[in-house]
Amino acid sequence: MAKEFWVFSEKPALLAELTVNALELSKAEGAIVAAVVIGNQQAIDQAFALGAQKVYALGEKSEDVIYDDYVPTFVSLVKSKQPALIIIGATRQGKAIAGRISAALDLSAITDAKYFDQSSGSLEITHLVFGGGAIRTEKANTATAILTQGAGIVDAPQPTPGASGEVEQVAFVQPAWKISLTERKQKPPASVNLAVAKKVVCAGRGIAKKEDLAIVFELAELLGGEVAATRPLTEGLDWLPRERYIGVSGATIKPDLYISLGVSGQAQHTVGITDSRVIVAIDKDKDAPIFSQADYGIVGDLYQVAPALIAALKARK
Amino acid sequence: MNIIVCYKLIPDSEDMIVRPDRSISLEQAEWVISEYDLLAVEAGLQLVEKYGGKLMALSIGTDKLLNSKAKKDILSRGPDELYLVCDPSFANADTNLTAKVLTAAIQKMGSCDLVLFGEGSGDLYFQQVGLQVGEMLGLPTFNAISKIESDGGNFIVERSLEDAIDVYSLPAPAALSVTTEINIPRLPSMKEILKAGKKPVIEWTLQDLTLSAETESRVDILSVRAPDVADRKRIQIEGKVEEAVQTLVGYLSKEGVL
Repeated sequence: MAKEFWVFSEKPALLAELTVNALELSKAEGAIVAAVVIGNQQAIDQAFALGAQKVYALGEKSEDVIYDDYVPTFVSLVKSKQPALIIIGATRQGKAIAGRISAALDLSAITDAKYFDQSSGSLEITHLVFGGGAIRTEKANTATAILTQGAGIVDAPQPTPGASGEVEQVAFVQPAWKISLTERKQKPPASVNLAVAKKVVCAGRGIAKKEDLAIVFELAELLGGEVAATRPLTEGLDWLPRERYIGVSGATIKPDLYISLGVSGQAQHTVGITDSRVIVAIDKDKDAPIFSQADYGIVGDLYQVAPALIAALKARK
Repeated sequence: MNIIVCYKLIPDSEDMIVRPDRSISLEQAEWVISEYDLLAVEAGLQLVEKYGGKLMALSIGTDKLLNSKAKKDILSRGPDELYLVCDPSFANADTNLTAKVLTAAIQKMGSCDLVLFGEGSGDLYFQQVGLQVGEMLGLPTFNAISKIESDGGNFIVERSLEDAIDVYSLPAPAALSVTTEINIPRLPSMKEILKAGKKPVIEWTLQDLTLSAETESRVDILSVRAPDVADRKRIQIEGKVEEAVQTLVGYLSKEGVL
């Protein structure tokens, strides 16, 4: 039986990225990539279009069932097929499923895998620890390795419509316990996608009060960019929605231009901006760590520097 | 309602020292309660205040846990009792071993209605242990819980997913990991700080527990180091505000990013 690498995500866009990564990793080990699909024929076709060589079809999910309910089915399938690698999309439900499968099979999932290295002959996985202040490389010492991968680690593939392959139907295993889903409240769609923004103006604790964010928004608008923030402004102070938070448990950005206003530059934040092309820092503390990671720094009061920058940019237009 | 809240004592990453070869040292770091776990403690405290019962804190780790300041810190935040399992081998425990030991400790502690966890640990942030413990105990288990209420026999919880908030009714006992949005933990009062030293602390070793399986880590740690720092220009722009801003605009224009 061929060695198998599995991919699963309830989010189609993420499944595309997991598949392209698994295909790349499978080359070195001569493995085939199988997608675990909870969904209809269209979802199965989509998995093949993305490059999956095999599909385990767990069936179509009814409205009152949640993805977590498929854990026992997943566990029994892993036991019978013994895949060498399982990559699960690092959503909240994906992490729950990864954790529960790990516990049931006596494995340890490596979550939020960021770098993959096979040069030693086995798969070494690197992920961030200590709030982004350090990176740790690990490898599973079990027959099956399980990990989760978030969005943006690899580029999504171009789908090949019409591709097909072997489909194996998998019977649902009833869970030992059942919850009832009593309500589903849709969250308003995200108003911003920082990951694709070309210019980002980021507010930090140097902003004294919520109303002062107006300067940040004005500068961002003038640049045609997005407003972002450090964690305290989105969690705790609640001045901005969480989707605007850049940092270890928030967004990772890769804009052409990143300008920080009153950001001190702790590792928990800067881990999210390292892929920016040009970094500008404006802060009144000359010793703030942000300056050592910036291309251009102005030590000064953002309440003077930002309005002056806005005026200078306006004069240029 | 008897609740067990699990917490982790971690080295404060603010105290991390990066050596010239990019290796890191945490030898000088202060050990603190993982920030995310404080929200789980607060969630447990609010439930006990509302529905009655007892809140028990549980942690596993090295003998750092036995430090009297660390014990008082957790107890001053509301738990009635503290359970600690210490063993030197827990210094580099993976999520699997951590979950096994917590599971064995929870089974030894007796029956409870709810086991609570934070969103992830502040140092390693795998976000796995709560789910693994729930699965090992065979209990209904979820992460991303942003609200918990009880209607007597069942918990009514809100689960904050990426694009929706699900409301579940689930039977007790359960194991839940809470989000960073669930509450803002209160600061310990002077009265609670003084009371903390008088609360019961139960200390166990690995030998006191009955573990269901072997205790080898499932992952090997190959290296831990500081990430490479991108080479930045680090140009400090001096001068009066207006001049400095003009200089900056000049640079950014040359970079082609305006």
